[in-house]
Amino acid sequence: MSFASDAARPVLPPDQDLGDVTDQIARIPLHFPTRSRWLIALCLGFALFTLFLVSATVLFVRGVGVWGLNIPVNWAFAIHNYVWWLGIGHAGTLISALLLLMGRDWRNSLNRFAETMTLFAVVCAGLYPVLHLGRPWFLYWMFPYPSTMGVWPQFRSPLEWDIWAVLTYLTVSVIFWYIGLIPDLGAARDRARKRGWQVFFGVTSLGWRGSAIHWMRWRQCYRLIAALAVPLVVSVHSEVSLLFASSQIPGWHSTIFPPYFVLGAAFSGFAMVAIIAIAIRALFNLQNLVTDDHLDVLGKVLLATGFMTAYGYVFEIFDALYSSNVHDLQTLQDRFSGTYAWSYWGAVFFNFIVLQGLWWRSVRRTPWTFFTIATSVVIGMWLERYMILVTSLYRDFLVSSWGLYTASFWDWATYFGTIGVFLVPFLLIIRVFPVISIFETKEVLHEEHKEGSHAG
Amino acid sequence: MPDNSALYGIIGAFKSPEELVAATRLAKQEGYCHLDAFTPFPVEELNGILELNDNRVFWLGLTGGFFGAGVALAMQVYVNFDYPLNVGGRAQYAWSAFAVVAFELTVLFAALFPALGMLALNGLPKLYHPVFNAPSFGRASSDRFFLCIGAHDPSFDSAKTAEFMRNLKADAVELVPE
Amino acid sequence: MKTARTPSLQLEKIRQKLHGTRGRTFWAGLEEVADEPDFREWLTAEFPAAAEVPQNGRREFLRLMAASFALAGLAGCSERSRADLAAPFVEQPEYLVPGVPRYYATATMFGGYAQPAIATSYDGRPTKLDGNAQHPIGSSASDVFTQAAILGLYDPDRSNIPLRDGVPATWADFQQAIASFRDHWKSQGGKGVHVLMGHTTSATLIRQWTQFLAEFPQAALYLFEPASDARGGPMHLHHDLSQCDVLVGIEDDVLGPGPQQVSNASAWSSRRGEERPGAERMRMYMAESTPSLTGSVADRRIPVDASRLPDIAAALASAIGVTGPGTVQLSAKEQAWVVAAARDLQQHAGRSLLTIGGQLPLEIQELAPLVNQKLGNAGATVRYSEPFIFMPQHASTIATLVGAMKAGEVDTLIVIDSNPAYSAPGELAFADAMGRVNKRIHFGYHADETGRLANWHLPLAHMLESWSDGRAVDGTVTLVQPVIEPFYNVISVHQALDMLLGVVDPDAATAVRLTWKDRLGDPLGPRWLDALDAGFISGTAVEMDTPFPAANTGTIVTQSLNNQLDIVFRPDPSVWDGRFGNIGWLQELPKPLTKITWDNVVLVSPALAERVVLANGDNVEIAVGNRTVIGPVWIMPGQASNTVTLFLGYGRKNGGHIAGDIGYNAYAVRPASNAWHAVGTLRRAKGEHRLASTQLHHRMDGFDLVREVTAARPALAKPPAQPSFYPEWGGTDVAWAMVIDLDLCIGCNACVTACTAENNVAIVGREQVAMGREMQWIRVDRYYTGDVEDPQSYFQPVPCMHCEKAPCEMGCPVNATVHSDEGVNQQVYNRCIGTRTCSSYCPYKVRRFNWYDYTGGDDPSTIAAHNPDVTVRARGVMEKCTYCIQRIQGAHATADKENRAIKNGEVVTACQQACPTKAIVFGNLNNADSEVAKRRQSGRHYALLEELGTRPRTTYLAQWKDEGEES
Repeated sequence: MSFASDAARPVLPPDQDLGDVTDQIARIPLHFPTRSRWLIALCLGFALFTLFLVSATVLFVRGVGVWGLNIPVNWAFAIHNYVWWLGIGHAGTLISALLLLMGRDWRNSLNRFAETMTLFAVVCAGLYPVLHLGRPWFLYWMFPYPSTMGVWPQFRSPLEWDIWAVLTYLTVSVIFWYIGLIPDLGAARDRARKRGWQVFFGVTSLGWRGSAIHWMRWRQCYRLIAALAVPLVVSVHSEVSLLFASSQIPGWHSTIFPPYFVLGAAFSGFAMVAIIAIAIRALFNLQNLVTDDHLDVLGKVLLATGFMTAYGYVFEIFDALYSSNVHDLQTLQDRFSGTYAWSYWGAVFFNFIVLQGLWWRSVRRTPWTFFTIATSVVIGMWLERYMILVTSLYRDFLVSSWGLYTASFWDWATYFGTIGVFLVPFLLIIRVFPVISIFETKEVLHEEHKEGSHAG
Repeated sequence: MPDNSALYGIIGAFKSPEELVAATRLAKQEGYCHLDAFTPFPVEELNGILELNDNRVFWLGLTGGFFGAGVALAMQVYVNFDYPLNVGGRAQYAWSAFAVVAFELTVLFAALFPALGMLALNGLPKLYHPVFNAPSFGRASSDRFFLCIGAHDPSFDSAKTAEFMRNLKADAVELVPE
Repeated sequence: MKTARTPSLQLEKIRQKLHGTRGRTFWAGLEEVADEPDFREWLTAEFPAAAEVPQNGRREFLRLMAASFALAGLAGCSERSRADLAAPFVEQPEYLVPGVPRYYATATMFGGYAQPAIATSYDGRPTKLDGNAQHPIGSSASDVFTQAAILGLYDPDRSNIPLRDGVPATWADFQQAIASFRDHWKSQGGKGVHVLMGHTTSATLIRQWTQFLAEFPQAALYLFEPASDARGGPMHLHHDLSQCDVLVGIEDDVLGPGPQQVSNASAWSSRRGEERPGAERMRMYMAESTPSLTGSVADRRIPVDASRLPDIAAALASAIGVTGPGTVQLSAKEQAWVVAAARDLQQHAGRSLLTIGGQLPLEIQELAPLVNQKLGNAGATVRYSEPFIFMPQHASTIATLVGAMKAGEVDTLIVIDSNPAYSAPGELAFADAMGRVNKRIHFGYHADETGRLANWHLPLAHMLESWSDGRAVDGTVTLVQPVIEPFYNVISVHQALDMLLGVVDPDAATAVRLTWKDRLGDPLGPRWLDALDAGFISGTAVEMDTPFPAANTGTIVTQSLNNQLDIVFRPDPSVWDGRFGNIGWLQELPKPLTKITWDNVVLVSPALAERVVLANGDNVEIAVGNRTVIGPVWIMPGQASNTVTLFLGYGRKNGGHIAGDIGYNAYAVRPASNAWHAVGTLRRAKGEHRLASTQLHHRMDGFDLVREVTAARPALAKPPAQPSFYPEWGGTDVAWAMVIDLDLCIGCNACVTACTAENNVAIVGREQVAMGREMQWIRVDRYYTGDVEDPQSYFQPVPCMHCEKAPCEMGCPVNATVHSDEGVNQQVYNRCIGTRTCSSYCPYKVRRFNWYDYTGGDDPSTIAAHNPDVTVRARGVMEKCTYCIQRIQGAHATADKENRAIKNGEVVTACQQACPTKAIVFGNLNNADSEVAKRRQSGRHYALLEELGTRPRTTYLAQWKDEGEES
């Protein structure tokens, strides 16, 4: 599928000049519209956030035993939600960085909140490896510091890789997000009338004044980080997949895992971007900036990544059959017809069956239909991660150690809690910072004006 | 010229990048050299005209990359040298395993260096700057494109320069006090 | 007297307040009652020191004393009762090095027989029991009950103070009471005095009893051992399985739990393992109604309903020709089995053996001696002696006793170390009958069902606290010496008898010394001390060449089922007749064949389950006559189709906080007439029961986890050399390894219990086990293949494999599990942060995780049972088999001190030490003479999941498949 056509056709309605855009977006923090709707969302967020605090406390006080884990299934919700959240995060970076490099301007209306989404998705993901520790208070042992016993971390362990990968990813995402935000903070500063806002944006914009030389260095820096962010995303989720692939457990020990995970991540992430895009444009009436064309393109991307993920499924089956390894075949059979077959077929249905709706232009361009499909994908990917974790562990090599896993109340509580951990800061951010990249949007608008005038 | 000393320069606001670019080009031809432009979004053409050419940010990135890789490998080799352990019969210096963290740190520093470097080179954060004194400058972040001729420019003369600026059809010409 | 009683009375109130509390809650409870006036009064009475304690200081005082309260129970507090408070020595005895264990030869009693044991004691605190290798029948091996006896010693629920009508009293009170009782008995010549006790072989006890009878000639004695069968009938059988080429068993679990398990199993093992079929290997035939350990390792097993076993026995007897041609109808399958068994018995006449289970009627059992006589096996594979279980002529059955009690003829009932109120056949309604006795005296370890009904409950000392004696299964007199001062206010059974004999404050040792005075002389003389040192009196084994008395070859009556079911009763493999019910190690021990913990089940055959439509865990109601019991069902592959098995030992009412109220009480439907077999019905009852099983899937599903070799193909295909990306790691001259011979494993669980005891493995309780969180470091996987009605059964002990290329180690981010130079896969508890990656990556799933703080809430007394050489694991850390690293390091220390290398066989792991069949061997791979190195050369050698390239150090020897003549 080609974006070129989309790039050629204006994605933004041309009947607005640069000033309008600035005012419209910069006004959101300054003169916040739709307070009530936002507040309702925030309350929900806080409710979930509280749930998280409660379940985390229970967890720390009583031990990981409060979860439904056992031997053999000693990893489940914690790890599979970790993977799921991280995957969601990745789309933010991909949309922002990859499309920036590819010069796909339509991304300019989406990248800001996509990146914001990344930040807090990664935070949620990052929480899990801490929560799931038997002795979380010793987390710092994973970092190389000269300890009295002279022991160091063990750098052959995928978990050790995790720490570095996630922290790097978080840092780079923050930098990328903030660097991109500076010029808009400047714009907001210049629009601000209230003293408080003036100081706030004055400081956060670091005194940005849009000087030509600044712009030049800024652009170098921004593109450079973008260029780094793309391989970073790929590496981070490949590395996460190694958490499984580098074991010998049937259903994990497969070379398809890195691409399979990265694509799955992008898939779930784009779905989440779509959900948020639709929500935000409804929340702040930004139909003129996040247009149906945006949804249309996003829909195509989702469909594409969906098929790439589906390839992973197909290859997994082929892999098992081709290897004709009894244990792999056993696992395959367990996925199709075992106790947790629902998670496998659930993933297939929510990820790929529902997805087919996106073939229809009208479905892609109708917010609620697209929203439904995107939600289904997010659910589907959640089921997929669950399936990969549990169906592989609950029946591994020795028949005697086969066991069953049922998520406990606290498993669920912690999971829903992290949704609060995501929502609260995300809502606060879109409350105080421009939700859409002002200057980049204007750039696009300007380009279109030019083309418009050339045409006419 | 005493009054110049109180001045930072003169700015003119233009409606579009194209007008700004044209104006800048003319100003160059006039012989002005202390020129600066302020725009709501990057305008590539200006770099050529203003002879802006600075790739240090890129080089910083490269340096950061090598630095990160070096640090990561050195760290991993050292800890296994300092306290060698038989871990699952794997090699003491398991390069394939070390590659992962090495890559992550490469990226980390390759991003940190240019980011901080960019701000440093741009002299940011700098909350006060004379151009902010210009009443209409607020629109530099919105829909106006400014050209500034610095007061230190040898061929600067507040009257003449202002006149010149007006001839460029700037829709606002303002003196920027120091 | 009065002064002594008053505090007790006040205490009763306090005891009620504290009822059911223990450990920490108990202490909390103490805090609550601290200001009760009753308590204060009692406190000052018992601890004058406390009187000086100011009002506000009392809680502090309590806090300090709490441990001894918790242990000794309130009124029991005295300096004697502080055994495990690890009181520091004021003067260090020169012979005792702190932290260095000392070993004492002693014994535990099981079904009346002495089980010779060596007790390991740290600073006067016994922590482990193992077999006594010096003993004539002994080896270092032991069974689960001997292993677990140590925890019985520290059982916080043991009764610790005499109770009169449930109120704490003193021994002085009791002795006063006895004095008056004795006058009364004398006047009656002992009439109306009825004594019930468990089986015994103790010469001292017998002597004391005889003395008692001399004094009270009219007194009646009853011997009651709910789970001991009538094996051998008139004679005591001595099997010598090491002489057996062919063993034919009919319902006789010679390798199963029981006093003879260890000796039988070790003899048996000498004819299996390396011995190959068709050569020296014993061939085993088994016909049984319900799967047993013996049946599981038999080469030709056939399931036969209990009511038809007599037919099989008869058919076999007539096939051998000791009885006339049988008239019984056998199925083709049964016929084939009988023919094959008979042929093999005859072909190996003189070196074969027929055993018939003690649970079958005597007239059936007596066919065995006839057959063995005819085949000339008597004197070779089986020998006979007079029974040496105390069984005087006038001793009568418990049914008679109940009759007498109902008839009101019983004035005084004395129960010694027995619990008839729980374990008597339900139809006798013992408890009700006991109500009609006016003097009820109970000596026992627990204030159990019987103890609660007695006016006098008197706490007995644990064997490890007592002086006693008994005879091992070969008759050898085995001495029991205390390895610790009783830490409760308790007396030994001999002191109890002395009290009944009117001795005031009898001494603990006197009675026993008196018994052996003639033989061993002065109690401090060399002969006595040597005997104590060895743990037995040599040359006291029984005369075994008595011929079997001419048996009656009366006609065998076979009862017809008329479409009812055979109900057979079996002692529970973990808690036996219920006496071990309060021992956590045993409750959490997976039963050998079902892998169920913390419960007893009703075994039914797959066929029956299909007919009645039952799934595992469904409740069923068993009806025998008009008595019923409800329990969860378990579908047992290999169970005879119309036979239902009930297990004794559960459904306790006052069993203690561990035995609690779990399982169903099979005694309720146990007939008085026939203890082991009844005819009854089964129907689906309401509801189901969530069983805590450690293995959900028993079918091997075509994987080659347990491999087999045959006489035709005696060696496995050698695996191709595995290339590896990983470098070779040079080790030291020691490379620890373990080889487990699957052909020798009988699934007895001794290794699991020994490991639990040695390594302070936590008990997590039924709920956690049901969640799949059991902690045992070694498990015995149990598989079956083939027809579910008549399957082939396998056992496979699985400890940590200590892989050379361990996936777990690679996964740990903090170096908490790493490899030692000697090839041990080490788990560093204090470095572990609990990511559980190691367990996820472990292909064998041998790692165990502390999901909660499993050990933090232990009773002070349970803590006392811990092995001080092994860390007690905290919450959130991973643990697993360490190859008993503490023993390895101990050996290193000794070797280093003597400036030498570790000797071959110097390090013995707990599981290896306990194994009665030597299925497990451990040692240095680099030493060519080591048993391990030799076994690794065997053609049967293989590694579990070797295709994964993990290079395990724990490997296996394949099991033989005896294809018989056809092969």
